[in-house]
Amino acid sequence: MRIRRAAGDLESEVLAALWAAGRPLTAGEVCDQLGAELAYNTVQTILARLYSKGAVRREQAGRAHAYSPVLDDAGLLAQRMRAVLDKGGDHAAVLTRFVGALDAEDERVLAELLGRQSRRGKR
Amino acid sequence: MTHLVVYLPLVLAGLFGSLAPGAARRLPPRIATWLLSGGAVLAATAAGTSLALLAFTLLAMDPEVAEQGGWSQAALRQNDPVAVPVAAVALAGLTVLVACALRVAVRRIRALRQAYRLAAGMRERAGELVVVPSGEREAFALPGRPGRIVITSTTLRSLDAAQRKALLAHERAHLVHRHHLHQAVVTVAAALNPLLFRLPAATRLSCERWADEDAADGAGRSAVAEALLRLGLGGHSEPMPGALAARGADVATRVQALRRPAIRLRVWRAALPVGVVVTALAASAVAVDQIHTLLELAQAATQAALR
Repeated sequence: MRIRRAAGDLESEVLAALWAAGRPLTAGEVCDQLGAELAYNTVQTILARLYSKGAVRREQAGRAHAYSPVLDDAGLLAQRMRAVLDKGGDHAAVLTRFVGALDAEDERVLAELLGRQSRRGKR
Repeated sequence: MTHLVVYLPLVLAGLFGSLAPGAARRLPPRIATWLLSGGAVLAATAAGTSLALLAFTLLAMDPEVAEQGGWSQAALRQNDPVAVPVAAVALAGLTVLVACALRVAVRRIRALRQAYRLAAGMRERAGELVVVPSGEREAFALPGRPGRIVITSTTLRSLDAAQRKALLAHERAHLVHRHHLHQAVVTVAAALNPLLFRLPAATRLSCERWADEDAADGAGRSAVAEALLRLGLGGHSEPMPGALAARGADVATRVQALRRPAIRLRVWRAALPVGVVVTALAASAVAVDQIHTLLELAQAATQAALR
């Protein structure tokens, strides 16, 4: 749909990759993580921008830099988030969650769908 | 017989409320969401106008109101097709429903303001994505200026690159298309007209489907479906209270929709609900005109008596 994605979108993707890795990554490793999607230079530019904003820290790893995400005000944020969700009702309703609460029946249906998917994948 | 037109919007609002959710499932989610939110507002307005007109016929009989308006009470009573008990019920109903809608609207606006404050309170250097280090699996869009995508570290760790991209694109779609406003509007409309009670849940599903389809455009249909399954089966620590509890069932529906190709727009599928709403509005306009004519007759009667 969108030919050129906004720079902010790519920043989020790179940041998410760093969080998912759980250890410092070099620009090359981030590239590998994201697949063939982004050019090495693009990733490097994004990492530099994240670094200048203070969203990631970096350390020397051989000849390259390895980047890891910075967590700031994290405890407070997590606490606030839970407080909002725990209120339920309207407070939670304004947050559009990816997956809502599931009961046992929902989980069963999903497990079935997942089973079908992996069987298809094997074929 | 023609005075029955004032009741028509009430019936048609109920009809819209019952057939719009089904029609929405067979339309592209973007169109479906607009149909639901736009239709809910217009149907609630048309039905509310009818109640107001019925209630007005009662108020117009009041001697002081009649004097202010300069119409003859006697002439009005003679020509007025609305029975007093019906008008009384309409007046009571309208009062209760408007009070309900105001209460719901105030609560929702407060919640949205709180979300906006929360989003603004996150430091500027936190970009669009805010990661919360937590063992829970949670991901949501936080509306604000700018809106934020809040995801826990555990969620990110349990997804691969394609699924993370799908999740980010999904939450971004909620923010870009302002789905929280669609949902707020429908919630208030349903409070104003209980016949629309099925529309909030239908709108919620439709917004999720819209965000899924948006995400599928960039990340692929299977990546979105896999992310949903992965997070859906991750095990939630506790069931969410309130309105969210109903949402779980939607996940299976969404996965199944993603397994099929995107729904193509077939205009005739929207024709019936749109036709119902348009007819309700037209009936409303006719009813307003009829009451107006009635008042003019009653005013003419006063002037005749003065002469």
